[in-house]
Amino acid sequence: MAKVKNKKRSSSDKAQANKERLNSKKNLNPFEVHINREKIRVIGQKRKNDRGLPGVSRGNAIEKRKRTLLQEYKIQNKSNLFMDKRIGERNGHLTEDDKVMARFTAVRIKAHNKKSIYNLADDEVLTHKGQTLSEIEKFDDPRSDDEDSLEGNDTGKLDKDFVEEAHFGGGVLKKTGREGATSHRDLINQLIAESKKRKAEKQQVKEATLELTEKLDTEWKDLIPLVNTSKCNDEEIPKQKINDYDKIMRELRFEARGTVSDRLKTEDEIAREEKEKLEQLEKERLERMKGIFTDKENKPTHRSADDLDDGILYEEVFDDCTLSYNKEGEANVQIDAVLNGKQIKIDNEDNENQKDDNVGDENSSDEDMETASEDSFADLKEQTSESEDEEAQNTEEVTEIEDELSKQPSLHNTSENRTHSEEKITNGIQESVSSEPQDHIKEDLLKRKEIMEQARKELPYTFSLPESYETLLKLLENQPSHHQGIIIERMIKCNHASLAEGNKENLGLLFAYLLQYINDLFSEATKDSIKSSCDILRAIFPQIYELAHLHKENAHNSILEVVKEKYDDYRKKKKSYPGVELLMFFRLISLLFSTSDLRHQVVTPCFIFIEQILLKCPPRDRGKLSYGFFATTLILQYTSLSKRYLPATINYLSGILHMAIPKSGVKLIKVSRPFKSTCSDLVLLENHSLDLCEDLKMNVTDLFCTRYDEQYKIRIFHNAVKALSEFHNNLEGLPSCCEIFEPVLRYLELIPLQNYPVIVQTIAQDLILTLQKQKENRQLRKIVREAERPKALRLYEPKIVEVYDVKRHRLQSKEKAERNKLLHKLRQEKKGALREIRRDKEFLGRVKIHQRIRSDKERRDKVNRIYAEAAMQQHELNAMDRKKRKK
Amino acid sequence: MSHQERPMKISKQLRQKAQEFLSCKRNRRNLEDILHHFDCGADQHSCLLTLETVFTALLKEKDMYIEVVPLKPVEKTPENLHKQWLREVYEETYKRILLCLENPSPKIQAQALSTAMNIISAEGKCPLESSIRLENYVPLAKLKAVLDKMLSSNQNNMLIINKYTEYLLYDDILFFTWKLLPTLTPKYNPSEVYIMNYLMLLHKLDIYQNSEMKILCGDDSSPFFKFDDNVTKKCVNKVWHCVMHWDHSHQTQKEMLLVLHEKVMPHLEKPLLLTDFLMDSLDVPGPISLLALQGILVLIQDHNLDYPGIFEKLYSMFEPEIFHTKYKSRLFFLSDMFLSSTHLPENLVAAFVKRLARLALIAPSEDVIVICNFIGNLILRHPGLKCLLNNSDTSSYTSDPYIMEERDPLKSNAINSSLWEIRTLQQHVQPTVAFAAQFINTSLPSVEWDLNQVLSRTGDDIFDREVRKFSKLILLHFEKPQEAEKHDRVLQYWNL
Repeated sequence: MAKVKNKKRSSSDKAQANKERLNSKKNLNPFEVHINREKIRVIGQKRKNDRGLPGVSRGNAIEKRKRTLLQEYKIQNKSNLFMDKRIGERNGHLTEDDKVMARFTAVRIKAHNKKSIYNLADDEVLTHKGQTLSEIEKFDDPRSDDEDSLEGNDTGKLDKDFVEEAHFGGGVLKKTGREGATSHRDLINQLIAESKKRKAEKQQVKEATLELTEKLDTEWKDLIPLVNTSKCNDEEIPKQKINDYDKIMRELRFEARGTVSDRLKTEDEIAREEKEKLEQLEKERLERMKGIFTDKENKPTHRSADDLDDGILYEEVFDDCTLSYNKEGEANVQIDAVLNGKQIKIDNEDNENQKDDNVGDENSSDEDMETASEDSFADLKEQTSESEDEEAQNTEEVTEIEDELSKQPSLHNTSENRTHSEEKITNGIQESVSSEPQDHIKEDLLKRKEIMEQARKELPYTFSLPESYETLLKLLENQPSHHQGIIIERMIKCNHASLAEGNKENLGLLFAYLLQYINDLFSEATKDSIKSSCDILRAIFPQIYELAHLHKENAHNSILEVVKEKYDDYRKKKKSYPGVELLMFFRLISLLFSTSDLRHQVVTPCFIFIEQILLKCPPRDRGKLSYGFFATTLILQYTSLSKRYLPATINYLSGILHMAIPKSGVKLIKVSRPFKSTCSDLVLLENHSLDLCEDLKMNVTDLFCTRYDEQYKIRIFHNAVKALSEFHNNLEGLPSCCEIFEPVLRYLELIPLQNYPVIVQTIAQDLILTLQKQKENRQLRKIVREAERPKALRLYEPKIVEVYDVKRHRLQSKEKAERNKLLHKLRQEKKGALREIRRDKEFLGRVKIHQRIRSDKERRDKVNRIYAEAAMQQHELNAMDRKKRKK
Repeated sequence: MSHQERPMKISKQLRQKAQEFLSCKRNRRNLEDILHHFDCGADQHSCLLTLETVFTALLKEKDMYIEVVPLKPVEKTPENLHKQWLREVYEETYKRILLCLENPSPKIQAQALSTAMNIISAEGKCPLESSIRLENYVPLAKLKAVLDKMLSSNQNNMLIINKYTEYLLYDDILFFTWKLLPTLTPKYNPSEVYIMNYLMLLHKLDIYQNSEMKILCGDDSSPFFKFDDNVTKKCVNKVWHCVMHWDHSHQTQKEMLLVLHEKVMPHLEKPLLLTDFLMDSLDVPGPISLLALQGILVLIQDHNLDYPGIFEKLYSMFEPEIFHTKYKSRLFFLSDMFLSSTHLPENLVAAFVKRLARLALIAPSEDVIVICNFIGNLILRHPGLKCLLNNSDTSSYTSDPYIMEERDPLKSNAINSSLWEIRTLQQHVQPTVAFAAQFINTSLPSVEWDLNQVLSRTGDDIFDREVRKFSKLILLHFEKPQEAEKHDRVLQYWNL
């Protein structure tokens, strides 16, 4: 019977307890009070237990035990028991009314048992003062009886005085003291008459009031129209009085004032903001690229003496060596940016001198080979060594410069849409015709511009969003590629998400349709149609980009769905190449999503997909080989910023090199799958060293051919070597770079390079040289794990608490604090329970010993009595004996 | 239409004839008709069905049963003559049915087998002759003929053998197949097809009795026959002794090693006799050596085999080609077992670690994860190898001290190297791989990585996991396409 402290007692309980305490304090027996001595006095501390009533509380406890524990003890080992089954009889909490209610409900429940369920007529009708409830609810008569009952004493009941006198012979005793008293019968008669009279009076009054109220009602109804009209008239009159002055004044007062707004930004500011935004985004991208990696390599190599080791320098240095935006706010990558910056400066000075400047550039880059990127280095070196392709190379540079030049005006007119979109087109054109001479480019550019203008004029200005994929198809059908781009652009402009409610969702749908469009465009593409499909794709790329930015989630989800679907198809046939459309989707992804992230929801699955293709699908013919090569260039694009490593790509490219090795000897040259070690399909049959190759880029049509021809062999070899050197450039920093490129070097040395055109030869030679040089100049340091920071010793400084309250607050989390509190409580309760059990035991022990003592006493008494009786007997016997003897 | 109708009609006719014959057994003509039709070669399937009904009925009604009284010639009553004739026809037909097992059509093969087995069952229940042990009767000669046909040296009987497994659920068939097998095993080089068939059958045979205790010949109620494990075990030993000495091609050797591991190995009396065979198999490249390695592992673990050169062998198995085999996870598993001892020289384990790391440079992503965890486990087991991860020696090297080409792991000088490869792999494009390679950056955990979890993972699984990963952050490229095109690598290589 552990005592349970109910701390949260209701307020009424508390009040009662207070009252009791007051009462008890009043007649407190000073002999019962025990004062607890206090050892250390703390100022301001409240004490709960400064005095107690040990005797009283002990008495209470014993009393309680007598009521509970003793009862239990008495009936223990007894099987029979009287149970009071009357409802609520043993429950002390129930009031008398509750008991009645409970009993009544029990009866009602009993009435609804199986037997009585068919007694339909038995349903009782609930009444209130004789009326059924349903009748009352109709509220026919608003005049309730309540009013009557309120006034005067209760209906028909007798007067208190009368009862006192007349009932139970009450009056008999007092009768003598009263004069003129009537007999009992008279009294009764008087009473009846009086009550009748009172009733009649009441009835009269009631009728009178009823009459009055009815009259009032009718009068009120007559008055209502009058009241309303008078109100209307009151308001109309002042309205007419408003004169023009007031009107104008009020108007002026409530006129909308111009709200405070930002001043219009100048173009410079807009450009700067744009730049800052881009820089911010780039910074975030770099963080994502690094992921959780906190590489030591990324730390600044140079540290000033004043460095506080607080990492403030960190960003600056990093920014400086990785990426910069030149004045035009143009984002460029790493070293390219630096070079471009130089070139642009020179360009601004003099356009004619550019050739010389380029040479100068080359020289400078030749000198500091370590810093210049491998790519540009190789490009430039070509120029110095070979006069033939200098021109071609130059044109490339020229186009680049053109690009920049054409970029410049656009920056001043960013706000104007028209020029901006024109820029897009010019850029696109420049890319596609980059191999042509400069004059041609300009002419072509102008021509294209004209065409664009014309197209713009020809096409209608507004397009509604397509409801279904078929309508979109119908719209785009038979339109040239640039038209298609413009159509979609206008579609987006006309239905911008801010213009109407459902536009955002519809634009999302448009995005999905466009994906479907690309899919259909390329999955059914043939050798002839692929070129135009690519044009279309290029034309709608910017629009897709825009759409993706308008509705990010949708773009993300729909592209991920496409990749998933394609992978599920591929999974069924692991060894066959998926369609060309997949490559285009991957390309789209590279343009839409940030591929440099360590982990990206769309890009990472793509990496896995491409890896699987590169590892599992055997390149059986030209189309397949080109497919694989396209995938490796995609990886190159994906990793161009993050410089990450995918083994399968190097493996694939070295496999291409392996195919170009003539296999004459018996010795098998090993190559890893999916290539076959006996395959030599890319070996040149003739000597092409004198060929002039203008365009060594791969053609899209290669994806659809099956037969290898000599031109293709040169092309793929050239591009593979170029890609490898770029990969090498990317992966140069890795400690195992030599091992990674070891097979590449081995294969390259086995290929008869003299058969290839001179450009290709130089590139290959360069790669061989760089690889060899790297191997020789390798510097490897053993891995040292970063020393763990030493743990600080525990400090024994004084702990300073701002606000001191006696309690010590431990610093711990909320959960832990809660837990500790509960544990403490548990311990306390356990202690209390143990104490109670001990007391119970003591109590029972006492009860037992009392019983024992009592029974012992009883026995002793009994024995004594028996002894006494026996002694008495003996005495009588002795007396008789003595008597006899005396006789 | 007519083409379809014909066989229907014929099967109906055949059935009718069979009914007529069974109702009037004197009339030989009907039976002869059926047999004649069967010989023609057309409608084999329905013929087989008909013959099955005819002969099972005959056997059941004991129409071919001739009472043989000892020391007394059989009386030449017309009835006995008829029975004699029936028996001759029966034996003849049985042989013809078995010939159908060589039929190219798998349907007819299956039917022939089931017919033959049904006839065996019927004959087992109602024997032709009064033998002494009447209840315990399995027509061994007929069963042997079936087995003989099944272990053909001309065609691959995989289908029939698969079908035969249904009958191996009967204890008596299983037992007597075991008993007959040694007599069917040739001592000297059988053909390759034969070996394949033989191994396939062996693969299906259980040493122990089936749990259901079904019996094909005879009633289930009378447990007349006792399955003896010792007999079957003896048969396994006998058979295996012959099989081991055959000449094996790579294909059969692989099959044989599989059978050895799955069925035979635990029941051999002297497994150590396998050592030579396994050693020879170990030199064969590819999966065979791996299977042999597993066998040797069992011998080393359970039978105290001491094989000094085993680690060199294991070391030589780690070649770039393994990543394209189906058995790669088995190899990783086995090498994990082999290298689980903590008493191996550190030199040796370091060589393994370095070699694995080198392979990881060219391995597919899923294997890189396995290798990283494996290397981590090896270093955990051999704390001395921590110098590969953490070496304060500041001198710089011009090349990796480890010699990849060295065949002997002890001479490869791996202990002086460092795990630069893992450092390289931290730059892997796949985040899971990059994270797995992170283990060298921090101090190692106290518990080993669980290899079994990652061993069975494929590229598909990794794809699925990545696709399922969900974060609310959606990150787009912020460069506009026309700007991005300038350093679009794809455009630098392709005319699009």
